[in-house]
Amino acid sequence: MLKKRIVPKLLIKHRQLGSQVRPVLVTTRGYSDIRDVGDPISQAKIYEAQFADELIVLNIDGTEIAGDEVMLSLIERLASETFMPLAVGGGVRKPADFGVLLSRGADKVTINRMAVEQPALITEAAARYGAQCVVVSIDYRKGPDGRAEVHIDHASRPTGLDVLDFARRVFELGAGEILLTDADRDGNGQGIDIETLRAVTDAVPIPVIASGGCGLSAHFAQALADGGAEAVAAGTFFCFRDQNPMQARAHVRNAGIPIRAEV
Amino acid sequence: MAAGKRRVGIIDYEAGNVRSIENALEHLGARAERVTREAELSEVTHLLLPGVGAFGHCAQKLEATGLVPALRHAVIEEGTPMLGICVGMQLLADRSEELGGHAGLGWIGGTVRPILPAPPMVRVPHVGWNDVRFEEAFGDFAAGSSADFYFDHSFAYHDPREGRVLGSCEHGTRFAAALRHGNLVSAQFHPEKSQAAGLRFLAAFLAMDPKC
Repeated sequence: MLKKRIVPKLLIKHRQLGSQVRPVLVTTRGYSDIRDVGDPISQAKIYEAQFADELIVLNIDGTEIAGDEVMLSLIERLASETFMPLAVGGGVRKPADFGVLLSRGADKVTINRMAVEQPALITEAAARYGAQCVVVSIDYRKGPDGRAEVHIDHASRPTGLDVLDFARRVFELGAGEILLTDADRDGNGQGIDIETLRAVTDAVPIPVIASGGCGLSAHFAQALADGGAEAVAAGTFFCFRDQNPMQARAHVRNAGIPIRAEV
Repeated sequence: MAAGKRRVGIIDYEAGNVRSIENALEHLGARAERVTREAELSEVTHLLLPGVGAFGHCAQKLEATGLVPALRHAVIEEGTPMLGICVGMQLLADRSEELGGHAGLGWIGGTVRPILPAPPMVRVPHVGWNDVRFEEAFGDFAAGSSADFYFDHSFAYHDPREGRVLGSCEHGTRFAAALRHGNLVSAQFHPEKSQAAGLRFLAAFLAMDPKC
């Protein structure tokens, strides 16, 4: 039986350290309030030892990732120094960028703004690299009327698109997975927005990775069992609290949800 | 096992991530070398055919290397152990039904067909860790034992004639997760991404005698 996944999310910013520009792991709250955590490679190795199922690595500086040697070297090192599957994104602009990221060690590529502005990119990338490689990262915020609206550019720009319509559309265009993030809950620890998650998982037959709001191990189990997610991604949860993927895994397993054996 | 003496030629046809494969092989004490020219095929003890992407795109890229006849000779005539991974497994079949249908190498027969989604339980692509049941022993995997491996695919190998299934997996339907045809081993999952179980699988491949 296919197991549910727990996926640490590494948000990366470029920092000038001495004469060098280095990738630094950060956390955010509501997509702002950035805090530096430390070295992404060391953190990834810890997550691997704690049986994380995959890693998501996102460049949040808005640079074009395919020409960003700081990000590309980071991916290369992550692929060389850990044995975990890597989804990489942030600043993907064109289909050829997928090839660049895959050749440097990514297994999957996430796109966000391009999925809204150039949806044909999804179909083109899927035809070349396979649907399993194309992850559409959908950020949303809920309006006063409760409607979930797709946002882009680190969730700063509303698009007018309804989350459910957009999720169905990216599936039809050939996306293989959706990373669904409630930007208002990002980093707040109040729990995943189960209502929207459930609506999306009911609307599409592809796997959905839920993100935004994990503050307790119970939140993972809720998203997987009640929300219908195949995976839950979290950044802040694993960075600052006395929490790690092993504890989240234990909680998920105790809730009777299938999860990979720790061997 | 004398893995230190193993030289693994990874067919480099720009179809996916070979870095993780190189690293996993080197972790096991083997030497990983990228093969782009025919002469390099005779210098290695084992061969590895990776593959990430759409079947048609990978088949076209592999064909464009011009290595296929020499590769066929090394594997089929000379018996060099080869491991096909993911689309590198699917390419060994007669054909795939992906995106309109494409011909494969035809070394092992069979057809690659879509996995049918049946949400909410069975979503496609099949992404993540799933247990593989070993139908035959392989390295230190006993026949009948199971281990979790990492998958990321929408199509799977299908052969109505059956047989030669090394490991099977279930996602909506039971499919061949790994095959063995003598010196030719293939896996739909990614051993290089499957942590401890993946390393054990690669070690079993490296333990196969060169040119058996």
